[in-house]
Amino acid sequence: MNMRAIYLCGLLLTLPALVTGASASLDGQAAPDFVLKSLTGSNLRLSEYRGDVVMINFWATWCGRCRTEMPLLDEMYDRYRKVGFTLLGVNIDDDRRRAAEMAQTLGLKFPVLFDESKKVSRMYDVDDMPVTLLIDRSGVVRYVNNGFPPGSEEAYVDKIRTLLRE
Amino acid sequence: MVLTMSNPTPLSRRPASAVEVPSRNPLIALFALLLAAGVFFVTPAYSQDAGTEGDGAFAAVRKEEFKSLDQEVQALKKEVLDLNRDLFILEEELLFPANTQVAIFVSMDVGTFFKLDSVQIKLNNKEVSNYLYTDREADALLRGGVHRVFLGNLKVGEHELVAFFTGQGTHTRDYRRGATLEFEKGVGAKYVELKISDLERKQQPEFIVKEWE
Repeated sequence: MNMRAIYLCGLLLTLPALVTGASASLDGQAAPDFVLKSLTGSNLRLSEYRGDVVMINFWATWCGRCRTEMPLLDEMYDRYRKVGFTLLGVNIDDDRRRAAEMAQTLGLKFPVLFDESKKVSRMYDVDDMPVTLLIDRSGVVRYVNNGFPPGSEEAYVDKIRTLLRE
Repeated sequence: MVLTMSNPTPLSRRPASAVEVPSRNPLIALFALLLAAGVFFVTPAYSQDAGTEGDGAFAAVRKEEFKSLDQEVQALKKEVLDLNRDLFILEEELLFPANTQVAIFVSMDVGTFFKLDSVQIKLNNKEVSNYLYTDREADALLRGGVHRVFLGNLKVGEHELVAFFTGQGTHTRDYRRGATLEFEKGVGAKYVELKISDLERKQQPEFIVKEWE
């Protein structure tokens, strides 16, 4: 077999292991607190949701996978919000107007927050889009997902139900 | 028939390889005596009485041990918490010593004409704090809470504090106002209060910056 092909195969196999996403280092740690302005104009602070299961989803208008994911997340939010689940969508666009427009087009019900300065996304080491974290009732990060690979939605529902039952 | 008897070999003529074996009976007897003595004197260290009384006492002892262990663990936890608290206070004292300390507080009075959204503070033209208030936090201020929005260090001398208040005024109009204070930092901690109150006369909010004596 060609040596070059072997090297290429090896690289392709190991690449997913290398690209782990820096925010994965937060798994098991207390979620860093932050406060951001929301689409409705009010300021929302993460620590005020202590006691609820919180999903934080970092997204951007230029991210195709985000557009696919958002309606599914919205459905999840609508289903579980009454039993102590909250979803915070943190947008990292430079111009919040585009994000607001997209949120309204998609008819999102969950709170959309604006992180134009990228302060919060840096705090969470976001280097991929989208990035989704699940935080338990005690404020500890319990699950981190980079991207939106197939099967993610089922994994989210499974994790949410587990954390709600705790 | 002639019977012949072979003469036994006299002792002097026995081959050298022959071993003289003394009588073994005394040795065996001595060994048995020693064994018996060993069995007699090596008694077990404790009584091996079977039965429920021994087991019950043993269980009680173990229960006591667990109880004291639990108490020890609780005491240890308390010590750790106390230590953590002491370290936190020490850290604050080291980082913000009283002689250079400056603390800025925000308070609200009534709040009919102004809904607080954020406070930005600049000291000597440098931004030191930019705090966004959630609805809950603003409500807490209205109920009499005081928020320490900034804690830092300043050298002795003249300084300038500028505070910008952003929020919603009457008729849900966006509102942004600034207030300035020039103060002298002496030896000792300096406390400044940013007070937002309603000015009924003008139907507008009033922003006051004052020093605590």
